[in-house]
Amino acid sequence: MNVNVEQAIYTIDKVRHLTESTYVLRFSRNGMPFTPGQHLVLGLPGSQELREYSIYSGIHDDALEVIIKEVDEGVVSRQLKNIKPGDSLEVRGPYGFFLTRAALPKAGKLLFLSSGTGIAPFHSYIKSFPGADYRLIHGVRNRNEAYDAEDYQARRFVACTSRDRGGDFYGRLTDYLLETELDTQSLVFLCGNSNMIFDAMDILRARGFSQNQIYTEVYF
Amino acid sequence: MKKVSFKTLGCRLNQYETDALVTQFHQAGYQVVDFSNQADITVINTCTVTNQSDQKSRNIISQAARKNSDGLVVVTGCMANNHKALLEANDQVTYVVDNERKSQIVALIDAHFKGEVVHPDAYARDVFGFDIVDKSLHTRTSIKVQDGCDNFCTYCIVPSVRGRAVSRPLEGILENVRRVVDNGFKEVVITGVNIGRYDHNGTNIEGALEKILELPGDFRVRISSLEPDGFGPDFHNLFQHPKMSPHLHLCIQSGSETILLKMRRMYTARTFMEIVEKFRTQMPGFNFTTDVIVGFPGETEDDFRDTTRLVKEARFSHVHTFRYSRRKGTRADRMENQLEEQIKNERSEMIRQISEVNRLNYMQSMTGIHQRVLVEQVDKNGMARGYGEHYLPIRFQTGNRTRNRFEDVVMERVDLSDPPVMMATNI
Repeated sequence: MNVNVEQAIYTIDKVRHLTESTYVLRFSRNGMPFTPGQHLVLGLPGSQELREYSIYSGIHDDALEVIIKEVDEGVVSRQLKNIKPGDSLEVRGPYGFFLTRAALPKAGKLLFLSSGTGIAPFHSYIKSFPGADYRLIHGVRNRNEAYDAEDYQARRFVACTSRDRGGDFYGRLTDYLLETELDTQSLVFLCGNSNMIFDAMDILRARGFSQNQIYTEVYF
Repeated sequence: MKKVSFKTLGCRLNQYETDALVTQFHQAGYQVVDFSNQADITVINTCTVTNQSDQKSRNIISQAARKNSDGLVVVTGCMANNHKALLEANDQVTYVVDNERKSQIVALIDAHFKGEVVHPDAYARDVFGFDIVDKSLHTRTSIKVQDGCDNFCTYCIVPSVRGRAVSRPLEGILENVRRVVDNGFKEVVITGVNIGRYDHNGTNIEGALEKILELPGDFRVRISSLEPDGFGPDFHNLFQHPKMSPHLHLCIQSGSETILLKMRRMYTARTFMEIVEKFRTQMPGFNFTTDVIVGFPGETEDDFRDTTRLVKEARFSHVHTFRYSRRKGTRADRMENQLEEQIKNERSEMIRQISEVNRLNYMQSMTGIHQRVLVEQVDKNGMARGYGEHYLPIRFQTGNRTRNRFEDVVMERVDLSDPPVMMATNI
């Protein structure tokens, strides 16, 4: 397939393994401008198989980072897990409008809801705008999947763990949403698997949020 | 005089670009002939949006090559971007010209007949390089304001073949509109791949439309199609302008929130209906048409029911229904629960039937309403036909045989011919 979007070869700087299956790829930025919430299309150079990953790093960082979870039947997530510093990576983008659709960072209070590696756009945003008035709720199975939790202000971050009690809340993100106080003036951004997004949206609407306060980005 | 023929597949943007090429070839001294005739050059403006589009494009290329064994076959359009290497290796094809260089085809062919064999990639890229279309082709003309798309809907290959969203400078657009209006066109259709993404130096599509509407002249403005997330909350106010046609082709794709999320559409069915209601509150006769994809992976009976319900509630006067077609390189192609063709066919037929009922209901609701018809044709009996500002086909008796002019009428009844048409009386 011959595509005509911007594409370039980047060099891997570092591979940081967060869990047995999740890792962060760090690679040369080559001056690429982006806004938090945008994604890149990645793969091995010359490969027909490319996948989309949200940018994990902040806009002031020298390098680009993406967070990837290895998928059992996946092709690219498994290929990239074996990549080494100095190896080449084909990169296209950046694309997308997820966090750009609201007037950020002047948006006021922000409620970020994520599951798994769906935390990437929020990590990028918070690294870019550390003074933002945000609250980040992260749904994972186990505490060790609360990736880079130390990058967030403790009072603004809640890890909901559904399979162990090591998180800030034991249960699903949606259980937490039902229990916690929510500021209905906040803009809400959801990123993660579609089931979490559907369930969370129902709860948000029932709790008084209007549809035009809610923005979603689904991860497959 | 060298003869040139054209074949266009796919979207309205492709049609516009072919029209512009026809004009360029005509002005350069070529004789434009029908595709069924022998030609020295055949230009095939392809589509690649589905696997079937590729197949159709390949068939047309073979047909053209068989018919004109000594002629040049030029393949352009999205398939030329998506399968460039494959097409360049095809002996039936003389030149493969990507979308970015489509406007250079006349120069390429001129050079060829002067004995200069130039690779198309040697020409500069310019997606807005088309000159105005000759008014003998149509009564309305498209104005291309934007190209490319960054939305990455999970079923769509277009971002990979049309490239990133790019916007034409506003001055170029205004100059283009001035010229087509001076040239006698009465209706301009604002066209692009995703015109809601128009952004040139901070001017969005609403700002661009405001400037177009300020231009002098007796013409009206129509929008070809728009995504529901491509405009702000006050967009409906633009349609109060007398030059703005009260019609929008607003793409819904599905009425199911689940499917919209899986399609990575950046709106919900709920917000879509809020838009429709806002327009109709202010303009009760506003005409909405749309696109729907049926049979998207994982689309359940309930999901489809949500779509049929929305199509009825929104009262679209026309639904362009697509059966979901797998496209390699898209996220949806890798999704589970791909549906059988029979289910897609059944659902497509159901939407078609609802669309037919909607259309007749909408037409009935418009009887007694005044329209300004842009006359496209007048037959020997003085029966004129054209479209009113709401984009309904209208026929009426007239004493004026000229085309490409406005005539005021009142719509009196629906003629149930196929397709149905509004019968009117001039006033």
